Amino acid sequence: MDFEYTAEQEQFREELQEWLEENLPDGWTEGDRDVPDDQDEREQFLRDWQARLYEGNWAGLHWPSEYGGRDASLIEQTVYREETAKYHTPQQINAIGINFVGPTLMEVGTDEQKERYLSNILNGEEVWCQGYSEPGAGSDIASLTTRAERDGDEFRINGQKIWTSYAHYADWCFLVTRTDDSGLKHEGITTILVDMDQEGVSTSPIHQASDEEGFNQMYFDDAVAPVENVVGEVDEGWDVVMTLSSFEHGTTRIFSIEQRYKDILEYCKNNTRNGQPLVQDPVVRQELADLDSRIQAAKVSHLRNVSKQMETGMPGPEGSMDLVVADELANDLENFAVNILGPEAALWEDGPEDGQWVRDYLQTYGSWIAAGTGDIQRNIIGERVLGMPKDDKSQTSHREES
Amino acid sequence: MRAKLTDEQERIQETAEDFLESNGGIEFARREMEGEDVVDEVWAEISDLDYPAVTVPIDHGGLGEGMVYLSALLEATGRYAMPGPLPETAAVGAPLIADLGDEDQKDEYLPAVADGDCRLSVAVYNDRNESLPAAVGADGEVAEDGSVTISGTKTLVPYADAVDEVVVATRTREAGGYDGVTLCLVDPESEGVSVEALDSLDRTRPLYDLELDLTVPPERVLGPAHGGGSALERAADRFTVASCAMLVGAADRAVDMSAEYSTERTQYGQPIGKFQAVKHRTADMWIDMQSARSLTYYAAWALDADDPDATRAVSAAKSYAADRLHRVFGDDMWNHGGTGFTWDHDAHIYLKQAKAWRNFLGTPEEHRDRLIEARLSE
Repeated sequence: MDFEYTAEQEQFREELQEWLEENLPDGWTEGDRDVPDDQDEREQFLRDWQARLYEGNWAGLHWPSEYGGRDASLIEQTVYREETAKYHTPQQINAIGINFVGPTLMEVGTDEQKERYLSNILNGEEVWCQGYSEPGAGSDIASLTTRAERDGDEFRINGQKIWTSYAHYADWCFLVTRTDDSGLKHEGITTILVDMDQEGVSTSPIHQASDEEGFNQMYFDDAVAPVENVVGEVDEGWDVVMTLSSFEHGTTRIFSIEQRYKDILEYCKNNTRNGQPLVQDPVVRQELADLDSRIQAAKVSHLRNVSKQMETGMPGPEGSMDLVVADELANDLENFAVNILGPEAALWEDGPEDGQWVRDYLQTYGSWIAAGTGDIQRNIIGERVLGMPKDDKSQTSHREES
Repeated sequence: MRAKLTDEQERIQETAEDFLESNGGIEFARREMEGEDVVDEVWAEISDLDYPAVTVPIDHGGLGEGMVYLSALLEATGRYAMPGPLPETAAVGAPLIADLGDEDQKDEYLPAVADGDCRLSVAVYNDRNESLPAAVGADGEVAEDGSVTISGTKTLVPYADAVDEVVVATRTREAGGYDGVTLCLVDPESEGVSVEALDSLDRTRPLYDLELDLTVPPERVLGPAHGGGSALERAADRFTVASCAMLVGAADRAVDMSAEYSTERTQYGQPIGKFQAVKHRTADMWIDMQSARSLTYYAAWALDADDPDATRAVSAAKSYAADRLHRVFGDDMWNHGGTGFTWDHDAHIYLKQAKAWRNFLGTPEEHRDRLIEARLSE
């Protein structure tokens, strides 16, 4: 048991900090963190940031060097998440491409696919989304009905996807389709790389409870993709889906939650109610301390998972715990944050930070559902960690639309 | 950064589990509950395995290990609620003597502890309704020759009739917090000491009243007069982490019992573990147990490393374990249906243990308060 970082890891941290200080948008490190509201300007802003990360060789931190990555260890990746959370860095517009599509292609893609796509994923010139969920099939991905039919040298694709993050920015889609429905539902699935810039593909944003438009519906109306864009084997895409989802376990939100907690703690120190600092209120103190210990628990549990993974080389089903705990913590934390605002909690745009606190609170309900609901993660823990009997009807697959 | 037990720590954990499993698992605890005196028997076995020697410094015949190693071991013994004052001896007594004792005291007690010939306990509470450090009563007086006269009743003293020495904390000078406390070694069988058993909720860990009316000679006073407080505070932290480790071990077994039972037990023609109500409750138990384990390991490490974060880490572990593991043991009882509520089932043993530990050495509420104070002084 050693929670001390090595000198090399600390050096990595310093290098990253220096780079962030120099390269984050103007005013960012002083707390002036403006991301444009206008959709087009926002896209350009995020693409610029993605390009800058690439230039600094931070985009493909965990990618092998043969594909242009940095070969970072899991601990270095952890340090990266911790530091970027501290600096509230902008989101990576190509997160799907870099974290999921790229590693999946490295694992199961053809040489031509690797050659064609990987470098453009890493440099951010081609932004990716993943077409998984459908209106009738959320976590139950295998129930999908979007069809891909062979037509000479191409597949012709028809159907609808939903909850697709980044679809409005994306140049490419990692699409899960049905190519055969004569067998079991996990058979007859094919994963195809689809060019978003064609007539048969359209997207429309979904207006969320948080008054934002973070994800989309996607419509495929006789869209086409050449046969060489199939990833893995035709009709055997379920294996590819599983490969991709194994990469999803590696992410955690715990560091941004920890950072958010520190901001809320500062608020409680610096704001008073009835003449007394909030942090002196006994109930507020108890709640703060409870959240503090839960965050510490989640962080150490994550580090334990990372340490275990470094030895086994495989992410375990324990990653499901990271997801369940982070989702609940984020919700409880943002709920607490809004509650301590007092009567001001009734305001939205006219409230603190132009309504950002309320939006963050509402947003946690969305994150809760993304990546497979906590219920599904609990099934995974029950069945794969504790060896409890499976419900024959539910073959749960874990996924993420972030 | 390696958030993992070492191979050696994992090995001692496995050996301890094997030892208890091959000795009837929780049977030791059940015999203790029935009023049988099993501590001698347990101690003879675990002394052969070097458990009491874990925290004794190497140059005094011990293994020289810290709280992480001890926690790994106590987790294993906690799995089967192994009776005996191992946490009192290894987390409190031996480190206090090693920290505060003079060479003569170290030579006298530490090798004996390591060999299994000297078991230790600790007496801090004068008032059962007070919190630490206020619970340490002002019943001691230091004479010019350095001897300490104590006249008062210590309560909630674990295993007082099964140990060779009790570290007694007495307030010898009025001062705030832990200041003004003097620590003495008292043989519970010596003259001027009477020991009375209390009927404890957790009968695997008996508690006693210790009535004291004696003068402790200078050679049995541990550390400076009036100056044992800060060492006592750290000892209380170690004791707290030790209790968390035992409860984590117990919770681990409670999760196993629930998972196994739900696979075997059928209702409505299928194993109850297929029902999400049962599966999810058990998954939540596992999550709570793993979270408490994470906090315990981190606190143990912080104490060993003398990390500035140690106070916060200990209080996080205690408050979390006390609240969440209590729920784990209750859910285990629940998962077992009517069977879970019977004396014959083990669930109640753990549930009572958790309740008995809850407020000992600080309630979860007090620890949360301490945690925030530590945060604010960062």
